[in-house]
Amino acid sequence: MYCPIVFQWATVRLERGAKENNHPLYKPYSNAIIAKDNKDLDSASEFEMSDIFYFARRGVESIMDDEVTKRFSAEELESWNLLTRSNYNFQYISLRLTVLWGLGLLIRYGLLLPLRVTLAFTGVGLLVFLTSLIGLLPNGRIKNLLSEKVHLMCYRICVRALTAIITYHDSENKPKNGGICVANHTSPIDVIILASDGCYAMVGQIHGGLMGVIQRSMVKACPHVWFERSEVKDRHLVAKRLSDHVDDKTKLPILIFPEGTCINNTSVMMFKKGSFEIGTTVYPVAIKYDPRFGDAFWNSSKFGMVNYLLRMMSSWAIVCSVWYLPPMSREEGEDAVHFANRVKAAIARQGGLVDLLWDGGLKRDKVKDTFKEEQQKLYSKMLVGTQEDRSRS
Amino acid sequence: WLLFPNCFLALVTLPFVSEVRRLDKRFKKLDLDDSGELSVKEFMSLPELQQNPLVQRVIDIFDKDGNGEVDFSEFIEGVLQFSVKGTKEQRLHFAFRIYDLDNDGFISNGELFLTLKTMVGKNLEDVQLQQLVDKTILSADTDRDGRVSFQEFCKVSQTNGVL
Repeated sequence: MYCPIVFQWATVRLERGAKENNHPLYKPYSNAIIAKDNKDLDSASEFEMSDIFYFARRGVESIMDDEVTKRFSAEELESWNLLTRSNYNFQYISLRLTVLWGLGLLIRYGLLLPLRVTLAFTGVGLLVFLTSLIGLLPNGRIKNLLSEKVHLMCYRICVRALTAIITYHDSENKPKNGGICVANHTSPIDVIILASDGCYAMVGQIHGGLMGVIQRSMVKACPHVWFERSEVKDRHLVAKRLSDHVDDKTKLPILIFPEGTCINNTSVMMFKKGSFEIGTTVYPVAIKYDPRFGDAFWNSSKFGMVNYLLRMMSSWAIVCSVWYLPPMSREEGEDAVHFANRVKAAIARQGGLVDLLWDGGLKRDKVKDTFKEEQQKLYSKMLVGTQEDRSRS
Repeated sequence: WLLFPNCFLALVTLPFVSEVRRLDKRFKKLDLDDSGELSVKEFMSLPELQQNPLVQRVIDIFDKDGNGEVDFSEFIEGVLQFSVKGTKEQRLHFAFRIYDLDNDGFISNGELFLTLKTMVGKNLEDVQLQQLVDKTILSADTDRDGRVSFQEFCKVSQTNGVL
């Protein structure tokens, strides 16, 4: 899968070879049997000295501009949106613009920010308080109903707190109980955006501090799937708990972000296959933010959570579109990775994002050596492929 | 970047200005420790390069003064060879340099072998690889001196219409 370079090179070589020899592109095996003996130098390879150039050029292209690292920093805008934080290339242009910017600053920090912060505190406070209250009720229909109402209300307050203007499309495809909802991940706000339109069971690691308090009170009102830090490593345990949850049809659909990390909303990166191994319906959701009003991407290596939220609340607004895509299920004989890629392609297509095979984990980790070894193996196969075929037949 | 005299020359030629600016941005982004030079480690922070077996050779060629790191003028020169403004001659020369490990103007049997080895890793037996190398040199070496000169290399590459 991770071999775009070699495939490109191989395609051109095949085409070139076919043109030179006027042969059909794929030689039938009967030719191979008739051909000369094994270990014949003439038929040893199709290596040419200029092959190396493809790899060199791809290398330099990556040096100049690679597809991966630019996903881990904020998207660059075509024109300035009067926020200093989006100011990468632009310099002082005119007095008028500076005045406008100054005005914008005043409005954003003087008016909008305090309002939003108040709302945020209200929203979160209510969530914690009310869910704890509901937790005291006995399990049953009333509890579920109330929990639903409370969750929705509090999330909607939080949405106002961020001034998020959300357009939901295709709501008829909204996730149902017993299913898994997957979406592309740009920031923690994704959760608020989705949860203000429907009720989900959240999945995640238990944190300390304020997050932990919120998590613990939420789970009193309706079942979420929180893991201890130590449990997260145990993939079987995680898979089992998720399976158990979806098997219970009274429980809410699970919300998962298979990328595993925040990406800057210009692309969709590799989906971790874990959620796709559980045999249930998957409801894909595509979330696309409009970067002109505020950049929603959380660069966790640059900003902490509080810093990030403050930046969100002092932008103009968060404008985004949410598309609920039709549900998908794993087909007969399809493996989890293939299924994951299928879902990812659908989400990328709908959201107008670039579909990448690269792993979001590369934000922090290195590419495994196996990928380089893969490249080497593929190239070798190209070189001696025909020879092996002959020796086999 | 106005302080580098080499770059100044490049800047004077107007069409290059936007490219140089872009390169400057990119250089600064890659230069993680702000040392003014790019080390192999900084190049290797790019995932797409990590899977490219040839990357060390490319960096070596960029590094004209051989100090193990690529400074900005080396960076510009190196990258611009691959740009649309680069000539076919430059590209051929670059490809030749990848093989010519000791930079003596000739690709010897041993050098071709070593370069191919990095391309194929452990997937081919040395014997097989050596056969390949022998065959390639045989077909390219028209003056029969046992190694491939730049002219011979160009002839072999041109006929394939690759570069």
